Amino acid sequence: MSKIEFTLNGKNVVYDGDPLRRLVDVLREGFQLTGTKEGCGEGECGACSVLKNGKLVTSCIIPVGSVGGDEIVTIEGLRETEQGKCIIDSFAEGGAVQCGFCIPGMVMASQALLLTNPHPTEDDIRVAISGNLCRCTGYDLIVESILLASRKGEGLW
Amino acid sequence: MVNTCYIPKTLEEALVLRKEKKAVPLAGGTDLMVAYKRGVGITPIFPFPVMIVTHLDELKGIRVEEDGTVVIGALTTSVEIARDERVPYFVRMAASKMGAVSLRNTATIGGNIGNSSPKGDLPQPLILLDATVVLQSIDKKREMTVDEFIIKAKKNRLNDDEIITEIRIPKPDYTYGYFRKIGTRKANAISKLTLSAIMKVESGVIKDFRASSGAAGPKVARSREVEKLLIGKLVFDLPSLVEDFVDAWDGVISPHAMPEFRRATTKNMLRYFLLECAKLPKSGIIE
Amino acid sequence: MAVTHITDKMKRVDAYEKARGEAKYLCDFHLPGMLYARMVRSTIPRGNILSINLPELPDGYYFISAKDIPEGGKNALHMIAEDYRCFADGDVKFIGETIGILVGSDRGVLYELEKMVEVTYEELPAVTTIDDALEKKAIISGEDNIMCKLECEMGENVDEVLSKADSIIEETFETGYQEHVHLETNSVACAYEDGKFVIYASAQCPFYIRTSIACTMGIKSDDIIVRQMTTGGAFGGKEHFPDVIAGPLIVACNKIRKPIFMIFDREEDMEFSVKRHPSRTVFRTGLDKDGNILGTDIKIYYNVGAYLTSSYVVLQRGVFHSTGVYRFPGARAWGFGVATNCFPTCAFRGFGAPQTLYAIEMHLDHIARKFGYDPAEYKKKYFLKQGEETITQGHIVEKVMLEEMMKQITDASDYYRKVKEYAIGSGKGIGISFYNHGGAFTGNGEQAIIKAKLKLKKEGEKVSILCGSTEMGQGFRSIMRKIVSDTVGIDIDNVFYDNPDTSKVVDSGPTAASRSTMVVGFLCEKAAKEMKERWNEGDFEVIKQYEHPEGHPWDQTTFRGDAYLGYGWGACVVEVEVDKLTKEVTTKGIWSSHDIGRPIDELIVHGQVNGGIIQSLGYAALEKLECKDGRFKQRSISSYIIPTSMDFPHQEYFFVDNPYPWGPYGAKGMGELVFNGADSAYMGAVERAIGRDTFKIPMPPEDIQGVVDRK
Repeated sequence: MSKIEFTLNGKNVVYDGDPLRRLVDVLREGFQLTGTKEGCGEGECGACSVLKNGKLVTSCIIPVGSVGGDEIVTIEGLRETEQGKCIIDSFAEGGAVQCGFCIPGMVMASQALLLTNPHPTEDDIRVAISGNLCRCTGYDLIVESILLASRKGEGLW
Repeated sequence: MVNTCYIPKTLEEALVLRKEKKAVPLAGGTDLMVAYKRGVGITPIFPFPVMIVTHLDELKGIRVEEDGTVVIGALTTSVEIARDERVPYFVRMAASKMGAVSLRNTATIGGNIGNSSPKGDLPQPLILLDATVVLQSIDKKREMTVDEFIIKAKKNRLNDDEIITEIRIPKPDYTYGYFRKIGTRKANAISKLTLSAIMKVESGVIKDFRASSGAAGPKVARSREVEKLLIGKLVFDLPSLVEDFVDAWDGVISPHAMPEFRRATTKNMLRYFLLECAKLPKSGIIE
Repeated sequence: MAVTHITDKMKRVDAYEKARGEAKYLCDFHLPGMLYARMVRSTIPRGNILSINLPELPDGYYFISAKDIPEGGKNALHMIAEDYRCFADGDVKFIGETIGILVGSDRGVLYELEKMVEVTYEELPAVTTIDDALEKKAIISGEDNIMCKLECEMGENVDEVLSKADSIIEETFETGYQEHVHLETNSVACAYEDGKFVIYASAQCPFYIRTSIACTMGIKSDDIIVRQMTTGGAFGGKEHFPDVIAGPLIVACNKIRKPIFMIFDREEDMEFSVKRHPSRTVFRTGLDKDGNILGTDIKIYYNVGAYLTSSYVVLQRGVFHSTGVYRFPGARAWGFGVATNCFPTCAFRGFGAPQTLYAIEMHLDHIARKFGYDPAEYKKKYFLKQGEETITQGHIVEKVMLEEMMKQITDASDYYRKVKEYAIGSGKGIGISFYNHGGAFTGNGEQAIIKAKLKLKKEGEKVSILCGSTEMGQGFRSIMRKIVSDTVGIDIDNVFYDNPDTSKVVDSGPTAASRSTMVVGFLCEKAAKEMKERWNEGDFEVIKQYEHPEGHPWDQTTFRGDAYLGYGWGACVVEVEVDKLTKEVTTKGIWSSHDIGRPIDELIVHGQVNGGIIQSLGYAALEKLECKDGRFKQRSISSYIIPTSMDFPHQEYFFVDNPYPWGPYGAKGMGELVFNGADSAYMGAVERAIGRDTFKIPMPPEDIQGVVDRK
């Protein structure tokens, strides 16, 4: 057992337990932040995506012991920000959401992209979400929704 | 069942843990966390002590030495490697095609080499470029080529008191280069087959030639003997040498699954590269 | 807010809660005192169980198996038949069959306990492929391993036609398994609340679960309540399969009386859930000297696995779609559902139609090229028209707009220029396909079996939709609320439609077969119209029940008549480039046109088209799922390859307007249609690029290499 201190959605938090517990389990079961989903458990589908120091990571293959001192942002944190609201609005308006299970992860991937590239091309977007599998949409409307967010949110990133 | 896990704060602390506790370094977690996972909501159980080294800043970053050698810290992530123009093309390409964004943000070069999977993306270009790996223990430091280091699938020469600290890539010297990864799909893909090759040409003579095949056997395949078939030959003679060469290279690889595809495609790519070189185009990467 | 009109492009009603991470899927849901369950499964394809040795179970841990089924119950899940056992008992019939479940509070403990269970078997000879079964390497079903079969024919006598033909082309096509990969894995929970069993499920068909497990327990359906949770994708994978989890859970809950959750890991979901049927379709087609088709004899084999599930119905659909969108002078089709000791196959978007539609499209491509015709022009000669006869000797009821659709996509893709420009074998290719999908249940299923009902309830200014149809990502909740908003003329926020709870809603039939918008949506429109007329009567309810239009006979014993009242129609062009060195395929363009009656929401139908087409392209290009000796080889999401955002480009899509008289606002079903044809357009393009005929999907680069190397 060891204490891991990190920032979660802007708050200082402490995890006291096995440092090899998966971050996704700590978020979902420890902090009850169930917006982060688990789709595969091997870092391949992106449903569990969160931001670690602003970078997209899959929380199902990260031990919580590796995030000490880091800033973790989940969908619960992002959705309260102007940037998050803009992406979520655009997803709703653009028809990006079907079954929804991949969507919180997709929103995180969109944020990670826009943080470094506020005016992405369609190709940039396709690369940025290529680790986030979606079985419903065929991706076109997600791509268009991210383009929409980038236009609507001009100046936010 | 309880894990033994350490989180060292410095390299020195890590080296002590490595020697005394035989703790296995966990860097990004992209291989180890998957290998020992047990399911939704269940903590993975590791049958050996683990030390999480993600935060050892001493092992991060890229620098270039005076002779042009690029030195990459073992905990440098794929995305950092892919973005750094100072890193040789082949390594950058391999890093940029590893998994997807999130994996590249997490996976480290030290982990990729230490995992020694034949499908790993980075060993293939590193072996092509005669890159070396620096292994450090509390008592000493040693260096060997990545080719020597990796013995076969999942087996390498890392001693149980050592940590991979850095990877050193000598400045490559080539006229033409080639890199291809055939993945399971266009992105977020595991390699089905990879190939890198370089050729140095001076006054129409092949001064150096190297090739390395990934995912085509239990480890990355290189053969200095077969490479020698071309060294010293005239570029203009390549068309007549190609078939013998690709047949000889076919003996170097030993694909287990999809052997026909892997053999035929490796031949196709090598043949293509050599015949393009024979045309003596402008120096650079042959697309 | 105002009324949402059918023509308005709407935001889905659940978009925000899902995108904000607030929607509760079963894995996000907790009940006080809940336990978890883990399956103990068979590890051999066929054998007698000699012993099951359990490790010592800690306090509060249980092993539940067939012996725990209560008196009066039955070790069966009532799907369509009652053959699927709740627990293997005495013997096992496939790898992954449920032998029992371990129940307890700690998932880690359950994981370790499961590894410690020892089962000994007497191994019996197994059949794990269609060939093994047909060669009778072992007999596992009936006398000949054929679990179900049917035959139908139309037009001229096919034997006579073939005997007079100038030439006969015989071709065999095969398709592989396909896994649904809904991003949310299968998950079900069972609790005992106020004297009733309550199932919480990620599921398409709450009423199916109820019927299925009431049989296991030997209790009345009404003593079980099924509540659908937000469902993270289904595609047919959650049509009957949730029963397989709910059955053991209710037996366990009956004994333990605590809430029990079972949430599959991805690997479990990949290896131990139902799949799309692998198929073999054999055509013997008689031609005249110019290559005109005189008639075709078709034999269709589907690998149904060890239990029937919905396979007979799937097979029927395969047979009824085997002549595609074409009318030939004579056609006969035989369908055989082949039993194997493999994991049962079941529903998957398209429900048997994609396999035979792929085959007929490739077959016609091959004949056209052999005789020097362009595939598009050749296929067009045989397009079915309104009033013409189908393979079940029924008739096409609606206007068929395939020629208009063909023009839309050939113009947009510049098809005719490209087929001239891209020489056969040049590395570039373009392909075209045509397809349809019969809407709703086959034949008399809607009026004889399902008898769908829907209830609208008015309370003040608010209207609740009470029906058993489910939202699983296809947009049904949004569409239904929109229909009521527009028809009654009230704000969509005053229309309520919760995830169904079988104790509160009426049975509208399964959410399957592309029937919900067309059939249940139509009931909703009718009920809403009545409600609007009676709006001033205060609070009241309106219930509507399905009525079958007159004059469309069907005989379920001979399979003669109008198999479907209406079809969705589709046409697709795909353009590719095949790398000469590596055989990697790059898709350069995708153009589609669909007749879905009248689209009911632009964005929702757009999403369905995109998603269905990409799934179909994955089926053709990437999604290899091999079963060796009864065990799937691809058992994780990294080895079973579904498309990413980078595998296929942006799509161009069209619709034609062809309102359907028995659908809401003229809409027809579309969920499956959009899966049914991109695969063959893609393969047609690949064939042109490599200059070879192909006979199977999926076709990843290594298999293309194999085709090119074929002597």
